[in-house]
Amino acid sequence: MSYYLGLAQLIGIHTLLGLSAYVLMLTGQLSLGQAGFFAIGAYSAGILTVIFEVPILPALLAGAVIAAFFAFIVGFPALRVKGLMLVVATIAFGEFVRLFFFNLSWRVPRGDIVVGPDSTNGFREIRYFVANGWSPWEITAFVWTFVILVMAALWWMDRSRAGAVLRAVGEDELATQSVGVNLTAVKVTAMTAGGFIAGIGGALYAHTATYVDHLTFTVLLATFAVSYPILGGLSSVFGTLVAVVFIQGVLVEGLRFMGDWRNIVFGLLIIMAMNLKPSGLFDARTAQILKRAVGLGAQEKSDA
Amino acid sequence: MSTTKLTAAALAGIVATALLAFAHPVVAAERTVKIAAWGAKSGPLRSFGVNSEAVLKGAIKAINDSGGVKLGDGTMAKMEFTYYDSACNADQAISIARKVESQTAALAGIGPTCSGAAAAMYGIFQKKVDDKSDSGLQFPILTDTAIRPGLAKKSQWTFRNVPNEITMYDALFKWLRSKYPDVKTIYGGTETDQAHSRITFAAVIVQKAKKYGFEWVGGGIEGVSGKIIAGMKNVLKVSKSSNWLLADTNFSVQARAFKRSGADMMIISSHPFTTCGMLKEMRRQRIKPKVLVGLTSSSSAETLKGCSAAAEGIYIPTGFAPITKAAAKVAAAAEANGGAADLHSAAAWENAHIIKQVVEATGVMAKPETLKADRRKVRDGLEALVKVNGLMGEIGRVQNEGESIKPYVFVQAQKGAWKVVHDPR
Repeated sequence: MSYYLGLAQLIGIHTLLGLSAYVLMLTGQLSLGQAGFFAIGAYSAGILTVIFEVPILPALLAGAVIAAFFAFIVGFPALRVKGLMLVVATIAFGEFVRLFFFNLSWRVPRGDIVVGPDSTNGFREIRYFVANGWSPWEITAFVWTFVILVMAALWWMDRSRAGAVLRAVGEDELATQSVGVNLTAVKVTAMTAGGFIAGIGGALYAHTATYVDHLTFTVLLATFAVSYPILGGLSSVFGTLVAVVFIQGVLVEGLRFMGDWRNIVFGLLIIMAMNLKPSGLFDARTAQILKRAVGLGAQEKSDA
Repeated sequence: MSTTKLTAAALAGIVATALLAFAHPVVAAERTVKIAAWGAKSGPLRSFGVNSEAVLKGAIKAINDSGGVKLGDGTMAKMEFTYYDSACNADQAISIARKVESQTAALAGIGPTCSGAAAAMYGIFQKKVDDKSDSGLQFPILTDTAIRPGLAKKSQWTFRNVPNEITMYDALFKWLRSKYPDVKTIYGGTETDQAHSRITFAAVIVQKAKKYGFEWVGGGIEGVSGKIIAGMKNVLKVSKSSNWLLADTNFSVQARAFKRSGADMMIISSHPFTTCGMLKEMRRQRIKPKVLVGLTSSSSAETLKGCSAAAEGIYIPTGFAPITKAAAKVAAAAEANGGAADLHSAAAWENAHIIKQVVEATGVMAKPETLKADRRKVRDGLEALVKVNGLMGEIGRVQNEGESIKPYVFVQAQKGAWKVVHDPR
């Protein structure tokens, strides 16, 4: 069972990573800097629980706030550029963060061992969960509490004026600006929210993996972050979750039995999925079908 | 049927098959000694997993051909293994460890091949046995390839059978001192984003060179005294223009720094992929040091396949060479299974035999109902080992650290092959 629970934890954490990119993508921006915010959350929370022996919840929230702060700072200059230039700018930020942690060495004695980030040796001993006897069930529940909270917050936002503003900026910046919306404020807010969510994900990741190093936060992770909302679709917050389950659950884990063929089939399935569902695996049509299946569609129709 | 429908059907079929893969039975009824192994079979370090699997396949066949493994009640059981691709990735290594522990009847694990993945994976294991407050995994691991110093002591469930680089380089430089008394100065570089290459270079190789009287060009490095780790940061500082990264493909700047140094001895501390890039560039720039020294991981078939001419003359200490009857048999078995035996992968052969030895010594039953107890017996058996027979001779065990002390030789690249030039066993 611990395998399935471990997988559920990984899916939850990657969902948070994907949602961090999703928020920004609603405004039409593509950021490859999410791995950087994820890393900041991971290292910050890890340092707090390991070096300062802070309990997990405040450490996690602090990691998320620190990541959000950097997202806010990065948001101003980065969001002045668009499209491919923003992609390049955010890649540069992600690499900057990765290389910062690559060089970070902060070691303190703790009992009979020395703990803390150790540059290329990585940051070991982030064992808060196992050292405190948390069962795999408890860890999974903890991770998914945050996933559900974040998804609920984004789902609610999507139905509020804030969500409409984000999507309006993503659809047509000029038209949105012409009705008095401050584009910079909207984009920086989205970037900050994305940083906060990525920070939570990173903090949870560090504590479930018990170890992080600079190689964890490469451009590949950033690519996964933006791939989830693209593959899942931007019409709903659930699209990202569906894509994470598809990639991490089905393609990475489910196809492991295929051995050497796994990576080839992985690529082929992504291409096939995007051809079959160009608007995302969980597009508006799929959402409508599901709503009808659970009776919500009929309700909406009668309401109309 | 339309293309879309065909595509959809194919997609659904593959997804369904993938989902069925989760439904493996927990245990098999047959009494077999099962081993799970995992390593990088994809990505830039793919050869680690391919070689490890090839050697392990040969080892299991040899064990089964000789009758199998004797269980606690005298029954002879066959040994089986499953090899998983962890892609040199921490998440995947952790996921496989969890899967193997909870979804299979494997008695022990061999892997992962990459130090970074091992460092991450070892962290999810119970640190001290019988510590009820620690909910980490309880499953014995005997790693074959991940060589970065000091990893196995992270958990009492994790063990390694990898060479000890500190001892090997100490002996190498001592030998080089006597062989090349006129060599005075050294210079070198490493791939700084690979912890193993970087740490071995700065904390071990340069220190051992200093210990035997080889000075870094320009009057030595501050803090470097010949003791492990001493002045490590300064080593990396003075070599900053001659270092590179694993993904680098251009080495002209670093090679120029090597050339400019004019050192008698040059050191390349990196894995085969960039070692070859650097050696080829040195050859292009006609850099010919009196002595060339490489990292243990480069004493492999990949280096010779990639740059045998450029590597001519390089000295490397290694824990494997086909110089004994047993080692030659392993080299042949690995080749027959599509891989190569080297200091990393050959350990997989020893590990399979060590597990056989432990299973027989501890009375493992290999029954579904005894799985947990059997795993504990294997762990205890691994910890109790003092000495085992290896391919190159006797392997000593450091029980409280889960590490090994393996015999070694010095090899030199000569005409496209690794020749043993010194055998201190």
